[in-house]
Amino acid sequence: MSVNLCLMSLLLIPFAAAGLALIQQGLGRSRSAAHSMLCSLCASATAAIVFVLVGSAWMGFAGGAAHRLHLAGRTIDWLGAEPFFAAGIGSSLLAGPYRALVLAYGIFAAGLAALIPINSGSDRWRLSAVAAASALLAAGIFPLFGHWVWGGGWLAQLVPLFGLPGFSDLGGAAGIQVLGGLGALSVAWIVGPRQGKYSEGVAAAIPGHNIVQVLFGCMLALIGWIGLESATSLLFYGAGVGQIALTLVNAMLAASSGCLAAMLTTRLRYRKPDASLSANGWIAGLVAGSAGCARLTCAETILIALVAGTLVTFLVETLELRLLIDDPGGAISVHLGAGLWGMLACSLFASGRAGWVALLLAQLIGAATLLGAIFPLIHISHRLLNRLIPFRVDADGDWQGMDIRELGAGAYPEFVLHADEFTPR
Amino acid sequence: MSLFGYLLMLSGWLLTLASLFLLAGVGQRLLFVAAGLAVELLGLGLLTYRYRALQREAR
Repeated sequence: MSVNLCLMSLLLIPFAAAGLALIQQGLGRSRSAAHSMLCSLCASATAAIVFVLVGSAWMGFAGGAAHRLHLAGRTIDWLGAEPFFAAGIGSSLLAGPYRALVLAYGIFAAGLAALIPINSGSDRWRLSAVAAASALLAAGIFPLFGHWVWGGGWLAQLVPLFGLPGFSDLGGAAGIQVLGGLGALSVAWIVGPRQGKYSEGVAAAIPGHNIVQVLFGCMLALIGWIGLESATSLLFYGAGVGQIALTLVNAMLAASSGCLAAMLTTRLRYRKPDASLSANGWIAGLVAGSAGCARLTCAETILIALVAGTLVTFLVETLELRLLIDDPGGAISVHLGAGLWGMLACSLFASGRAGWVALLLAQLIGAATLLGAIFPLIHISHRLLNRLIPFRVDADGDWQGMDIRELGAGAYPEFVLHADEFTPR
Repeated sequence: MSLFGYLLMLSGWLLTLASLFLLAGVGQRLLFVAAGLAVELLGLGLLTYRYRALQREAR
């Protein structure tokens, strides 16, 4: 593994967080813009600290200490057993930088996964609850699944345990995007829709307040995604320089195809391309393409992202109109919907190669684990947390906006008209 | 109802795990894992139905 290339990739990941933060604040209301950005910073900060203190011990790394369970003649590696507080990280550098690089990756990845639910709870999820939910994710849920997939856990060890190919998540589609998307679904269910969203019996459109920032966020996210996919492939799948170059090409193709597919779909359905759905298509393409980023051919990536970009426009509408889920930024459709599609598609498009059915089976086991074990864990822990720290702001705060209610000042004070501005001087 | 939804989701995952331990062929396992996923989706559907019903009541 090239340490320099890995370090460079890791340095790019914060751009993904910056992009997602801009997207979610731009798609929310102007009266909650500062709150949304502060929530993003707070989630990343909390996740980083809690991951280093607790999560890194449970995530571990391949070949490190782990808790093992002996079952039916097999040894199942189910949780990391490294020291808490990242103790000994300095002395481990003598043996090589791998543990430190995995720690750095985990900090950024946990932060990204914690950012995604903010999108669906936009305009009504309280700051203290965001911090608490991020801490919970970084301490327990992300490290648990991260260990299973990237830390030498049972999903990565399907070959020796059950004679199947290992579950493949080359760019974090499952461990970050789907995990974050499940968190977003749970948060949207708990906080409920914004006031006025369904008051007239039909879903009212509440457009985002700054689409320019949303589209700029998409461009930043692309840079971050390249870093994320490259770092994951290098650290956990032993990708070479050639595969990293392919990852870079595939990331650009995935984003482009997803965006164009969403633009075309909205153009055909609504007569004009929709900017916010096109932005969602861009991110959906990146999410879907990340599952097999270093292995898929360019044509396969384009096809996967085209489907993701189209799918996301229908999913956003279904969630809003049929399932009555108010998800202002489309996080559930983009991260959960496109992420699951990408996870399965990377094995479907391996058809023609030997053993693609076994690969599909491995990916299905990963999807079943996320839906059947991780989602109940997330949702039950969110519901318990909601009893301790109520997630939703009160009714007055909903109308007032989160900026004034929770921060005491708006993001755009110049937008407010003051009576004294009209008095003659 | 939501407890039943969670239990269904967990049962689907256990069905998936059981197929890994009890079966050997890829085809058989694929069938069981697909069945497990279907049970999980049933549980998710139940949770979604409950949420929708609550939202309709709240209107």
